[in-house]
Amino acid sequence: MIRLKAFSYYEPASIREASEILTQTNDKAFPLAGGTDLLVRMKRGVIRPAVLVNLKRITGLSGIENENDGGLRIGALATIADIETSPLVRKTHPVLCQAAGVLGSQPLRNLATVGGNIGRASPASDMAPALMVLQARVAAQGRSGSRELEIDHVFAGPGSTTLAAGEIMTSFFLPAMAPATGAAYLKMGRRSGGGDCALVGVAALLTLEKAEPGTARIALSSVGPTPLRAKRAEALILSGKLTEERMRQAARAAAEEAAPITDMRCSASYRKEIIEVLTYRALQEAKQKAQGGKAA
Amino acid sequence: MKVSIDIHVNGERYQKEVEAQTTLLEFLRGTLHLTGTKEGCGLGDCGTCIVLLDGKPVNSCLVLAADAGGRKVTTIEGLAVDGKLHPVQQSFIDNSAFQCGFCTPAMILSAKALLDKRPEPTEQEIKQALGGVLCRCGSHQKILAAVQAAGKGEK
Repeated sequence: MIRLKAFSYYEPASIREASEILTQTNDKAFPLAGGTDLLVRMKRGVIRPAVLVNLKRITGLSGIENENDGGLRIGALATIADIETSPLVRKTHPVLCQAAGVLGSQPLRNLATVGGNIGRASPASDMAPALMVLQARVAAQGRSGSRELEIDHVFAGPGSTTLAAGEIMTSFFLPAMAPATGAAYLKMGRRSGGGDCALVGVAALLTLEKAEPGTARIALSSVGPTPLRAKRAEALILSGKLTEERMRQAARAAAEEAAPITDMRCSASYRKEIIEVLTYRALQEAKQKAQGGKAA
Repeated sequence: MKVSIDIHVNGERYQKEVEAQTTLLEFLRGTLHLTGTKEGCGLGDCGTCIVLLDGKPVNSCLVLAADAGGRKVTTIEGLAVDGKLHPVQQSFIDNSAFQCGFCTPAMILSAKALLDKRPEPTEQEIKQALGGVLCRCGSHQKILAAVQAAGKGEK
C-alpha cells in the first residue's frame, strides 16, 4: 500500500487567493488540478509538497466555448474527457479530440485536465503537440495581473514551465482553423489505441491554398526535453508541391532534428525510426482531411 | 491537517473529518468499510480502485477524499437495489466473467457507466470503456460477453 505523506491542503475560491498561497509558500506548494500525475509523483516520492492548493473549487475554469468566429476557449480545468467528447471541439478543432482520446485510460481522462497536462510540462504530453500545431495561446493569471502566451513558449524544460511562481493557467484559446486545413495527432505507445505513455507523439497540420501547402506545422512529443516544433520539416513541406516524396523528406527531416533519448521505454534510434513513420502518416492524414474541404 | 467533508456515497450522506492526505480509496475502505473497492497498484495503472464519481469512472487511488467533498460516489456496494443485483452484476455471474474477482468491481462499474450512456455499445466501445482495468486472470472474453449480454438485456 502506498500512502501519501502529510501536507497542508487549501481550497481557495478565487485565482487571486490561490496565487497568494502558492507565492507565499514558494516551491513547496503545488497546485492540484486532476491529480493523476501529481499524486503519482508524490506517492513515488519524486516530489514532496508541503502544501497542495486545490484549484477545482474556483468556478469558471472548466468551460468550453466558441469565441471570435470559429475560435475556441477551453478552460484550464476542462478534463481530457470533456475535450474528447465535446461536440464543439469536434466541430472546430477535431485534432484536439483525437489527441485527448489517446491520453491514458478513460477513468484517468475523467480526472486529468488540459491545464494539468500542459503545466506538468512532461516531454511526453499528448495534448502539447496538438495544441502547438493549432497555435494555442495560454491565458495565465498571477498576482501582478494576467497575460497570454503562445503555447510554444510555455515549456522551459522537462517538468518546468516559463510561468512565474503563483501564476496559474486559466484557459487555452485556439484560433479558428483556416478553410482547407487538416490536422492529425498520431501516437506510438506500447498498447494500441492509447492508454499509456507516448514513445513518440506527432501532430501535423496542413492548410492547402490552391492545392499547394500554404501552412505546415509539425510538433513532436517524447523526442526531446520538451515538446517541440519540427521547423526544418515544416520548411521542407512549404518548399514546393505536396508530393509523396516531399512528405517523406519532411518526415526524415523531423527525425533528424529531434533529439530523443534512450530510456526504459525504448531506444533513441527506435524513436528516430518511429518519428519518421508517424510524421509521414500524420502528414498524409492531415492532407486527406485538408482535401476534404473542412477540418474533419 | 484535518479537512471536513460532506460526501454522498451510494445514496447516503456522510459528514466526516479526514486527514488531507487520505485518498478517496482509503476513505471508502478504511472509514466507511466499503471494501468492495480494491487497491492494486495505487498509481492509476491497474484500475481496480475505480468508483463512479458523479456517474463517471475514476481511479479512487488518485482522488483525495477532501477533493471528493460535495460529490456523489457510487461503489460496487451501491449497485444492488433491495437485494436484487444490478443487471451487469447478474450478467457477470451468468457468464462466469471472473476468476479471482479482484478486478470485478471496477469492471462492473466501468461497464455500468458505459451502459448508462450507451445502452447498446459496440464491441470497440466496450473495450475502450474497460481498457482502464487490468484483469490478470485473462477473463477478458467472458467479461466482454457479459457486458454485451447486459447491454442487450439478456438474462
